[in-house]
Amino acid sequence: MKYFDPHIHLTSRTTDDLEAMAAAGIRAVIEPAFWIGQPRTRIGSYIDYFSSLIGWERFRASQFGIAHYCTIGLNSKEANNEALAEEVLNLVPRFALKEGVVAIGEIGFDEITAAEEHAYRVQLEFAVQNDMLVMVHSPHRDKKRGIQLSIEIAREMGLGMEKLIIDHNNEETVDDTLRSGAWAAFTIYPHTKMDSARMVEVVKKYGPERIIVDSSADWGISNPLSVPETAALMESSGVDAETIRRVTWQNALDAYAQSGQIDVAALEAEAQIDQTRTFLDNSVLRGQQPERSVKS
Amino acid sequence: MSNPQELLDWIDGELGCHLDEAGDDWIRKARAEVAGGVDDGRFAQLLALASRQARRRAADISSEGRSRAAELLAGWDPVAWSVLDLLRVSLVLSRDDLAEESGPRAILEAFRFGDVGELCALARALQFLPQPEAYLWQARECCRSNMNEVFEAMACDNAFPAKHFDEVAWRALVVKAVFISAPLDRVLGLDNRLSEDLARMALDLADERRSAGREVQPLLWMCLGRHGGQRALDSLEREVAGDSVAGRRAAALALSRAGEGQRLAALAAGESDPQAAAALLAAQDEAPTQAAFRAVLDCPLP
Ligand SMILES: [Zn+2]
Repeated sequence: MKYFDPHIHLTSRTTDDLEAMAAAGIRAVIEPAFWIGQPRTRIGSYIDYFSSLIGWERFRASQFGIAHYCTIGLNSKEANNEALAEEVLNLVPRFALKEGVVAIGEIGFDEITAAEEHAYRVQLEFAVQNDMLVMVHSPHRDKKRGIQLSIEIAREMGLGMEKLIIDHNNEETVDDTLRSGAWAAFTIYPHTKMDSARMVEVVKKYGPERIIVDSSADWGISNPLSVPETAALMESSGVDAETIRRVTWQNALDAYAQSGQIDVAALEAEAQIDQTRTFLDNSVLRGQQPERSVKS
Repeated sequence: MSNPQELLDWIDGELGCHLDEAGDDWIRKARAEVAGGVDDGRFAQLLALASRQARRRAADISSEGRSRAAELLAGWDPVAWSVLDLLRVSLVLSRDDLAEESGPRAILEAFRFGDVGELCALARALQFLPQPEAYLWQARECCRSNMNEVFEAMACDNAFPAKHFDEVAWRALVVKAVFISAPLDRVLGLDNRLSEDLARMALDLADERRSAGREVQPLLWMCLGRHGGQRALDSLEREVAGDSVAGRRAAALALSRAGEGQRLAALAAGESDPQAAAALLAAQDEAPTQAAFRAVLDCPLP
């Protein structure tokens, strides 16, 4: 089985995780730009963070045969540091059009403040102008209202609903999200979001249409194998194979391939694990056995 | 510096089969825009947007294309270039201010915000540009990169380092290439910049590997040339008596480079691997160049 985890913060994960993910069949990931736990105080911190998403993290994942895409954006929590947020909003266009950036994200609401709404609107406008997708993070608190508002504003700004992915849905929000025409992503994350058993029930009830499973594994207590483990539970719970394939692979691919930034043919092909690869799709073994992750 | 128009013509010839009509139109307009003068942000954006026109796949440069490339810039080999490299390098070469202050400024700014593919293309562009000193720090920074692709774009098939790196930077590049198993035979100009210090560093690395019970990287033996004295010869003797066929072949080539070619016939007589024996005989008359070491790894070019 092949899996796509379209939401994971690999910056916070180790090579052990990457190895386990590859072994579990995870072939592609999306790393959304987000809060890194510690608030940033300088624009330079964002420059380096965004750079790592389009450089170092991509390379790190490729060493394990995992295709790495990312999203670029100012997250809602840090949108509240208004002076710095303004600088970041000016920085986003410099990174958002890079190769492999599949969406603006994760953006949206945290406490639903005016500053958050401002940042959300500015970034939506950029996405619409550049025909990009938008990945929306929905808040932990006041989630239902946060999602409704995110959808309303996106629609008002002229974003096609097929280009909108609402993440961190639950049983209470899924109806609103699906009814809007947006993609409904579910995060399998212990304690605070969904768990695998509840996810099985959601899929049984709603079917596979526009439903996406992800891990959002990050610096918190989280599980980078959430997607394959949930797939396994779906299988043992009698969910049919095609439904599982769609919610753990195909839907994420269909959604994000709209960006034009995913080489679908290369992704469908067998993974090339080569630590000295020269091209994304064409690994070049050079006779000497390359050493994994040599620190140089 | 190389003649930008000749290079652009070469790039156009190679791009031909890789772009559709829209891509062709895009790159023409983008180049004209760059030639007319753009601000640094727009220049960096165009470099990024090139990825909308082509994937980062091998450009598969023909052998004629590679020969022509070598005429345009001695030693340069585009064997590992991607289609995106062609597009991006052509954007760099379209600037009309490369000899002024604003050219390097814009290019260094593009490095600062570059993704993996852009960094590779920019690293490959440096060898063609005037004012090389303006890029020296950045070129070294590429060699310090943990992203092997970026390191190799700067270190391999690229005429810049051998021409412009000082001794410290040069040795760091070469030994790092050995260390991460990058194709050292493709580090241009290696044979002209061998030295006692480099040989010592390589021999130290070989000792470290052996102490750790690990095989010595076969290409390490390229670093010796005629340097390293008795210590080098002793280390090579140990390698030719070892278990690794690639190691034995590389060490034999290195012995020939060290002026010990007359020993190769005897070594060939005792060699169990027929291919290795043939290689030893072939190397006894003439000291092999760095290119000869590719055969040691027994693998084709990318
Ligand atoms: Zn997240």
